[in-house]
Amino acid sequence: MELPLTSLKNGETAVIQSTDCRLEGKKLCRNKTKKGCNKKFANELCIKRLTDLGLTPGTKVTVIKSAPFNGPLEISVRGSRLAIGRGMASRILVDVER
Amino acid sequence: MTNNHFTIALAGNANVGKSVIFNQLTGLHQHIGNWPGKTVEKAEGTLHFKGYTIDIIDLPGIYSLSTFSIEELVSREYIATEKPDLVINVVDASLLERNLFFTLQLLELETPLLIALNQIDMAKKKGILIDCQKAEKLLGVPVVPTVAVSGKGVSDMLETAIQVIEKKRKIVPLKPRYGKEIEERIEKLVKILNKTQLKYPSRWVAIKLLDEDKEVEKDVQQVSPKTVTVAQKLRAELEDIHGHSCPTVVTSERYQVASRISKEIQQITKQVKAPLREKLHTATTHKVFGVPIMLAVILAVFVAIFSFGDFASALLGDLFFELKPSFESVFGTGIVGELVWGGLMEGIIGGVTVALPYILPFYFILYLFEDSGYLSRIAFLMDNLMHKMGLHGKAFIPVMLSFGCNVPGCLGCRIMETSRERLLTAFVVTLVPCAATSVIILGLVGNYVGIQWALALYIVNLVIIFVLGRIAFKALPGEPTELIMEMSDYRVPHIKTVAKQTWFRLKEFIVMAFPLIIAGSIVIKIAEVTNLLEPIANLSSPITVAWLGLPAVTGIALIFGVLRKELTLIMLASLLGTTNFALVMTPVQMIVFTLVVMLYIPCVATIGALVKEFGWKKALTITVIEIALALLVGGIAFRLLTI
Ligand SMILES: Nc1nc2c(ncn2[C@@H]2O[C@H](COP(=O)(O)OP(=O)(O)O)[C@@H](O)[C@H]2O)c(=O)[nH]1
Ligand SMILES: [Mg+2]
Repeated sequence: MELPLTSLKNGETAVIQSTDCRLEGKKLCRNKTKKGCNKKFANELCIKRLTDLGLTPGTKVTVIKSAPFNGPLEISVRGSRLAIGRGMASRILVDVER
Repeated sequence: MTNNHFTIALAGNANVGKSVIFNQLTGLHQHIGNWPGKTVEKAEGTLHFKGYTIDIIDLPGIYSLSTFSIEELVSREYIATEKPDLVINVVDASLLERNLFFTLQLLELETPLLIALNQIDMAKKKGILIDCQKAEKLLGVPVVPTVAVSGKGVSDMLETAIQVIEKKRKIVPLKPRYGKEIEERIEKLVKILNKTQLKYPSRWVAIKLLDEDKEVEKDVQQVSPKTVTVAQKLRAELEDIHGHSCPTVVTSERYQVASRISKEIQQITKQVKAPLREKLHTATTHKVFGVPIMLAVILAVFVAIFSFGDFASALLGDLFFELKPSFESVFGTGIVGELVWGGLMEGIIGGVTVALPYILPFYFILYLFEDSGYLSRIAFLMDNLMHKMGLHGKAFIPVMLSFGCNVPGCLGCRIMETSRERLLTAFVVTLVPCAATSVIILGLVGNYVGIQWALALYIVNLVIIFVLGRIAFKALPGEPTELIMEMSDYRVPHIKTVAKQTWFRLKEFIVMAFPLIIAGSIVIKIAEVTNLLEPIANLSSPITVAWLGLPAVTGIALIFGVLRKELTLIMLASLLGTTNFALVMTPVQMIVFTLVVMLYIPCVATIGALVKEFGWKKALTITVIEIALALLVGGIAFRLLTI
């Protein structure tokens, strides 16, 4: 099942599908030049930072928990523990077996 | 490089132990400043070892050599253009894969390299064993195991470093290889690039062009615009093949190399059960308990610092004032004596009684928190709130500092990643009421009008910060970055490093703020002895009296309060001729006065810090905006409260 990272439950592990797409309502947009998806994409530098930290397609990622008041997510990837903002996290698509 | 004078740069991810190694190597022979024109800290030091003189540079902690943060740009500029004789890549042995990802990029930059495999003690505790010889073979550069905190392996590392620099070891560094599709395209680009003159190696530039690196693209555009167009085409091809953006493909393949190497050289023996540090992490980031714990910790720290500070400050002040008679016997009690004691000496006393009792413990605790890992947990908890102002969680740290003093707050904005965020944070930070402002809020309004009014003022201030933060966030061009931060394991802080960091920060504060505080103090004294106060009061009366409804003398207190904010209340008392403010000011006047003090310009030392970090123009803009704001809010409050 392909879902944004934010919809994983605490403790759930999934495989990253892509980091450079945007959720428009329920529709997924992967190609920024495609029509109808001309709204602002995720900050490209942030995507770069995410991949540099190891969140590349095909990598396993585990959601540990989220901060209080719907704050950032705590995730575990390649043995390190990261905090990432919710907006970014919602643009990471993962494949999860349920 | 001369025969026995080298330059070595330390590079690596954040929290790998670079600073500890740097301190082990350089002791107190260090200089901490900024990279020219950048708000990035630069730590330099010198080491004398077996007849060699070695300059050591501690590069900022980064995860990649791309363009995400100013730190990354500064680091790669430095390595490529200054060409240090050797780069020591400090690697966290317990997080091999991600650290090697960075190592691979250093290899691509074709800089002379040595790897310090640090924290092997921690790795062992986590059940990770690493085969250094195999690592050396696979990476093609020397790998030295170290434990920075105990100094183990550090001299081995130095010996090896010298061997490498003097070319006494044959070294064939690994050239990281990508998949076939990427390699073909790199080769194409290298062929064109070989004809041009660039400060970086061609292969690296080619990779960076595929990586869609805007800075490199700009450089290449100037010498060979054609190459940029070719690269664009090649990127589109790769995107079609892989179905991801080209930078993601390149990064992904580089990670595959890192992953393969790390699997080959490390052996994971056992998974240890969650130790204390894991439990601590769970508690301090807990959904329910995390925030209360944080508030309790911050409150405890502030109470501790202020009660210690008040005590120590009074003690130091008394000590200094015992000197007064001897000064008077030397300089007399005339104008000269007044200037020397009341201007110069009281300025120095003012500085010392703030710096030592308050700023020193403040920095110490801050670095203790940073080194232990708690600061990143605070950022994690506060992210959501800061987000409402367009900032992310890390910005909470300078804001928190500013409740003590705006100067460290401004300097603390360096932890933000982009210059846009640094400026935004600095703006917010200068609106936070510092300890000196709190003295006025509590001493004037809290004492004479009522504590609930003092609290209301704090709330008004927070609301204004919030609203203005949002406006500035919308007004400043550029995109916001979100929180992406590592929360490394909790550790017992390394006291020596913490102490050194505190010392260098304190030094920075003294060098920057003291001259301004002393000059301010002398200016005030001169104005006093030359009878300038009266004209100043009259000159400012259209604003103070007509617009704000305050007594005319408050103009003097407000203007000179910029120079010595902590003296505003004392100054006001002496101008009004009484410390019982209730006799001379109405409650409304007290509230309006305090509001203006709270919001108008940060003190002169803070302006100094702003100039240092952002330049004159931005410092001036922030100052002017805040004066206008203070007068506006003050005037409105006066009219609202007197309806
Ligand atoms: N156990 C252990 N801790 C270390 C070692 N090296 C550094 N540390 C700790 O790791 C943390 C980060 O170190 P620091 O030098 O500030 O990292 P930097 O960000 O690379 O400058 C500090 O708490 C150090 O005390 C080591 O070899 N072993
Ligand atoms: Mg450091």
